[in-house]
Amino acid sequence: MQWFDALIQGILLGGMYAQYALGMALMFGVMKIVNVSHGDLVILLSLVGISLASTLGLGPFTVMAALVPLAAVLGWLLQKAVLNRVVGEDPLPSLIATFGLSLALQNLMLQIWSANSRSLPGGGIESRSIQIGGIHIGLLPVIVLVFAVALTWGLDLMLKRTRFGRALRAAASDVEAASMTGINPRAVYAAATAIAVGILGFAAVFQSLRSTVAPADGGAQLIYAFEAVIIGGMGSVWGAFLGAMVLGVAQAIGFRIDPGFGVLAGHIVFLLVLATRPQGLFGRA
Amino acid sequence: MTMVSMMPPQVRIRRQTASGRIALALFVLALIGLAAMPWWARTGTIRMVLELCCYIAVAQMWNMLAGYAGLVSVGQQAFMGAAGYALFVLAQTFGVNPFLAVFLSLLVPLVLAVPCYLLLHRLDGPYFAIGTWVVAEVFRLVASNLPLVNAGAGMSLSVMKDYSAFQRNIAMSLFCALLVLVSIGGSYWFLRSRFGLALIAMRDNPVAAASQGVNVRRLRFMIYVAAAVGCGLVGAVYFMAQLRINPPSAFDPMWSNIAIFIVMVGGIASIEGVLIGTLIYFIADRYFGEYGASYFVVLGVMTVLVALYARTGIWGMISKRWDAPWFPIRRHLVLERDKP
Repeated sequence: MQWFDALIQGILLGGMYAQYALGMALMFGVMKIVNVSHGDLVILLSLVGISLASTLGLGPFTVMAALVPLAAVLGWLLQKAVLNRVVGEDPLPSLIATFGLSLALQNLMLQIWSANSRSLPGGGIESRSIQIGGIHIGLLPVIVLVFAVALTWGLDLMLKRTRFGRALRAAASDVEAASMTGINPRAVYAAATAIAVGILGFAAVFQSLRSTVAPADGGAQLIYAFEAVIIGGMGSVWGAFLGAMVLGVAQAIGFRIDPGFGVLAGHIVFLLVLATRPQGLFGRA
Repeated sequence: MTMVSMMPPQVRIRRQTASGRIALALFVLALIGLAAMPWWARTGTIRMVLELCCYIAVAQMWNMLAGYAGLVSVGQQAFMGAAGYALFVLAQTFGVNPFLAVFLSLLVPLVLAVPCYLLLHRLDGPYFAIGTWVVAEVFRLVASNLPLVNAGAGMSLSVMKDYSAFQRNIAMSLFCALLVLVSIGGSYWFLRSRFGLALIAMRDNPVAAASQGVNVRRLRFMIYVAAAVGCGLVGAVYFMAQLRINPPSAFDPMWSNIAIFIVMVGGIASIEGVLIGTLIYFIADRYFGEYGASYFVVLGVMTVLVALYARTGIWGMISKRWDAPWFPIRRHLVLERDKP
């Protein structure tokens, strides 16, 4: 029973990680770049959301309605000002640029919000739970998982069915051929990053509702997103989602064994996948 | 005489330049100066120079990885911490002579780097970098849970009390000279050897280099392991001087920030760039370090700007204007004049 409980909690935790991982999978799939400041953007948006809530007295879902468009604009600006200049065959420039951005963002947040941990008041939903067959399931983690499924499903549908999705996939598989057919890769990239960071707007609200955030937490979120993408298999949004579930379950079971072992258990599963199935559990060989 | 014109032209390969000879002489003088520090510097100065030498060595290791082998790592602190801990365990727990233990502790990064590389090289381009960070996190978490290294509480190197202050100063000074000799001198020697030729070919274009018979995979593996051992030496020496080690300090990601800043601002893929970058970082740290967070905001923004607009860094701009390398690694073909 205790292990079944860990499994359930792990899947719910995976819902949180899936929201980080979707954007990273999308950006890597389209541009072959990794945004090192991915996690710091989650923290930045969380802190902005917390400040919004406390100064204007907004509820969590109103904050979300404000944060998601803000995040999308932030992503679009990031692509226009920085990433469009460094995208290319060589991974070094994009890594260094986003690494520098991460360092600057982290310390800027430290300057503005100080090193204290904060959280978003949820008006009670963060503590409510449902009891099913002897297992307490928090209402908030269920909402997080529902949002994660909806976002993954929506992103997958957009990539497969819409005109914009086709343009994205075309730019991902061959930029030159795509631009010959009238697609502007830079515009497509800007929209992809806007979506990737926009999803982080949802993640930011949930992260600050379910636990606390502090300026230095970004690195850990980046690592979880990365591990979910690699475990699941690069190149598909459902792969990233399932990878996030595996990571969440590994961490939840690790925490049950020993509280100091939780995060490490996630890393170990990641390394095992890398050793035995480098294309990812759900990736094509 | 037709025979004369049939003869191949007389050529000579010039590998050293006047600027290179001057720099080499200065380098040797600097090494002697470092080794002789106990006779001309106070303990505070020696500790400061030790930190400077650690920056030079870590930055040069990162430069070899990212600048030549195309392996961008943000997790070299894994090997610094591993060797640092190995030194503390050997010297403190098992009573090995600490100065000997510095060298023995290098076996740990050497042995750990092999499986790490075999796993990480499967990751695509930028994912490799984040993978190295995960490895460093794994090392930190393992150290935080391992009773052998006193888990999260950390260890102290109290055996150093057995040595007088002067003896410790001599050791620190010799280690300073060794760090610079191994990182800068060793890289220079390596880059001038036939491996260096292969490495430079690989830096310019890995596919073309492979078609010329360069074993790109083996060379990358060698550089990764060598950089791990180099960073291990820095870690062992640094934490010996610190006398204390705990998981957050041993595996501090700040070392990656420093190495990346130094190499990118100074100029990637050049030894000169590392020396210039270290000097800039060191001076900036002394003068602006007290501003804390806002100082790091400036460092971060500078790193972004260099990546966007000046990828060759300061040395790249200098060498475009003046062709006077301090550590020349190019081979110049000089045509000898026909003797009358």
